[in-house]
Amino acid sequence: MTRRAWTVVGILLLVGFAGFAFATFRTTLTPYVSFAEARAASRVVQVAGALEKQSTRYDTEAEALYFALLDAETGATLPVRYHGLRPANFEDAISIVAIGSWDAGAQEFRAEKLLVKCPSKYQGAEVKTYS
Amino acid sequence: MSGLASYYLPGAVALWCAVAFALASLWGYADLARGDASGRAFARRAYRFYVLAVVLASYVMLLALARRDFRIDYVFQYSGLDLPFRYQLAAFWAGQKGSFLIWLLWGALLGLPLLKASGKQEAPVVGIYTLAQLGILFILVRENPFLMLDRAPADGQGLNPLLQDNWMVIHPPIMFVGYALAAVPFAFAMAALLTRDTSQWAARAFPWALSGFLVLGLAILLGGYWAYKTLGWGGYWGWDPVENASLIPWLFGTALVHGLYLERTRQRFRRINFVLAALVFLSVLYGTFLTRSGVLADFSVHSFVDLGISGWLIALMAAFLALSAWLLTTRLRSIETRPNEDPPLSRGTFLMLSATTLLVSAVVVTIGTSSPILTRFRDQPAQVGPDFYNRVNFPLALLAAFLLALVPYLTWRGETPPRQLLRKIAPGLAVGVVALGVALALGVHAPLDLLFVLLAATALANNLHKFVEKSRAGGLATGGGYLAHVGVGILFLGILASSAYDASVKVTLEQGKAVQTGDLTLTFQRFLGRTGELKERAEVEVVRADGSTWMAYPKIFVNDRTRQLMINPAIRSGVFSDLYLSPLEYDPGGTPGGGAQLQLAKGDEGRVGDVAVRFVDFDLGDRGAALAKMAAGEMVTILAHLEVTRDGVTESVSPAYRFSQGGRAEMVPAAIPGGGRVAVTRLNAAAGEVELALDGLGLAAAPARLSLDITRKPLVQLVWWGIYVVMMGGILATIGRVRQLRTLDAIAARTPAP
Repeated sequence: MTRRAWTVVGILLLVGFAGFAFATFRTTLTPYVSFAEARAASRVVQVAGALEKQSTRYDTEAEALYFALLDAETGATLPVRYHGLRPANFEDAISIVAIGSWDAGAQEFRAEKLLVKCPSKYQGAEVKTYS
Repeated sequence: MSGLASYYLPGAVALWCAVAFALASLWGYADLARGDASGRAFARRAYRFYVLAVVLASYVMLLALARRDFRIDYVFQYSGLDLPFRYQLAAFWAGQKGSFLIWLLWGALLGLPLLKASGKQEAPVVGIYTLAQLGILFILVRENPFLMLDRAPADGQGLNPLLQDNWMVIHPPIMFVGYALAAVPFAFAMAALLTRDTSQWAARAFPWALSGFLVLGLAILLGGYWAYKTLGWGGYWGWDPVENASLIPWLFGTALVHGLYLERTRQRFRRINFVLAALVFLSVLYGTFLTRSGVLADFSVHSFVDLGISGWLIALMAAFLALSAWLLTTRLRSIETRPNEDPPLSRGTFLMLSATTLLVSAVVVTIGTSSPILTRFRDQPAQVGPDFYNRVNFPLALLAAFLLALVPYLTWRGETPPRQLLRKIAPGLAVGVVALGVALALGVHAPLDLLFVLLAATALANNLHKFVEKSRAGGLATGGGYLAHVGVGILFLGILASSAYDASVKVTLEQGKAVQTGDLTLTFQRFLGRTGELKERAEVEVVRADGSTWMAYPKIFVNDRTRQLMINPAIRSGVFSDLYLSPLEYDPGGTPGGGAQLQLAKGDEGRVGDVAVRFVDFDLGDRGAALAKMAAGEMVTILAHLEVTRDGVTESVSPAYRFSQGGRAEMVPAAIPGGGRVAVTRLNAAAGEVELALDGLGLAAAPARLSLDITRKPLVQLVWWGIYVVMMGGILATIGRVRQLRTLDAIAARTPAP
């Protein structure tokens, strides 16, 4: 093949890869949604909320962690089921992001991944009031 | 307090002096660039004073941390009386300001050898390099780490328990050496463009680019090790934005290393290398912006808070982006480069393809990491999951493995006919086929995975053969590249096996009871208390199929200061697989008798031992009558309708709560079927909530229970070994390049100056 032909092949491959990457980007995107939207969504989404007090329960039968997220603004709650490892600062979190999808049968949000935001004291944003 | 008094002066003054000396050094280099040779001595001296000032500032910070001087806000925020000494020092880079300071420190120190190593372009190279440091220095002066509190608190806030780990002592400082090194090839490239003298930059920047690749690679390895060994994330890599922020410059840097090699040997890629060198540095700035500005706060396991430096970081990025864009657009076209005239099956073409593959991978990871920003413009911010990175990088890794498998036997011009080439790679290919057979036997069936195993193993074998051949002929330093590629082959096999073929189960163990799962028998022996620095941990006996026993000690403890629950896995590393035990939950068991409190809202169900209680509703009787009674000061009775389930039988139970307007309350408990009773201890009719006390349930003492996640990660050791080998290859290659540079300098010294 000539140089030109190779160049065309190279460009085609790059364009094809770009298309593939774009399609993958679209399908793996997990948008942030409200609890109500999460209940209606069929895809993987992410929700954020505070951990509802005393809602954490580890079920040794199901080997799953159950808890509820609370939307501080609307007061809505979302029951969550999680099979992975409990993040280290879970109980202490000011906000928990759950990535997963709604399980309509069990009426619970099945989280595949949890992101935990620690209190801001480690980031130095706390208002300083000591005596 | 305001003004000077709010600063801890020894440190703050050192930082201000650093700004002055850096500006003085720039002044001197400006003179030198205009042809005033006396500027050099002045500029160098000013630069050395600048380094001294930065070292002093860092020393003051270190000393303040060691002395626990809580007057200084930064020390107060990240240190505490309970911290062991090494973590007191590690608190240096625990916060934003401190990590900028250590970045600056390394950058300043690296500039010292650069003064001499920059050759005849010293003025523009060191000048641009100093400009890059001034950017960080300005942020530090504004976000001063030496701010003081009004009065010294008795104790600091302590270090985040997640960071109290030995890896914290070494991982971040090494990462910042890598970040600091990224500015060097950038300075060489921009200086060459600025002066339109591009003859030497590639040779001079090459060892720096290689060192940056090495150090950043080492830092990424240590970070992965940390995540794997202690953080309990269950893996070494999670495509978290913070991880990606270090991977992206490394990928660009690796592309640059390949591009520079191509330029040095074939005079090709001469334009693209400038772009790559710019991208390495700009991606470091961009990664810093992403992880430090708070834009990704809701998207990362590392928490970020905007400290108000986003504007500065954007300005810094914009300034250097503008500088590189201006130089690249105005100067690049005038640079002569050679088009690829090599046939497809030649080393030249393959090297070009490999640099392109790395570049594409870096771009893809950048786009994925930026997804929350990209999507923000159209819709709500959204993030791509790890799937995106894994899927998109897989074809690139396949291509890379293919290139690596063939490249050792390709010549620059590709004179070797395909048939002869095939004969040369045949032994390596045989190794690949054996690996393929083993993979098949072990249950790998996905065709692309099998192809990947074949290519990676072939690459490993061929590069190893070539490395041995080369190092025998011309010394170890000539074969560095091949050795690095052996490492990549090992790494590829390790990544595939450990990420796509790991298997995990979850079990709950009762104390003293052996449980069989797969070919393992696990017994939770006991829970051990804290002894010295050893934290609370469970003792689990693991008996494997071959009868060998491993005592595992997964840790599960609560940090004293923050009450955070901390989890550290126990890992048994083996040649073929690692056994990874992560605690999920520990229940210390109950005392006999079985009393408990429950707080329930309407419709909620709670559980105590074998009793499930559902709160149905209140029963106020006739509402109007109740109110009238209350007004008359008579007793009002409220019943709580409960559904109690025990042993599969559900019964209605209604304990009562009586109270009068005077505030006297009386609790009338109700019996629970099967023994025990339940009483209403408090209620909130408006919110529909009730607090119940249960006692006398007659529960046996519940045994302590430990829930574990048991994961077998095949060949995960290959990931580490692969990176070690890549590093060793990189070190050899760096030695080789430094030697070449010495030759260059020797030739330059012999040539009389014009």
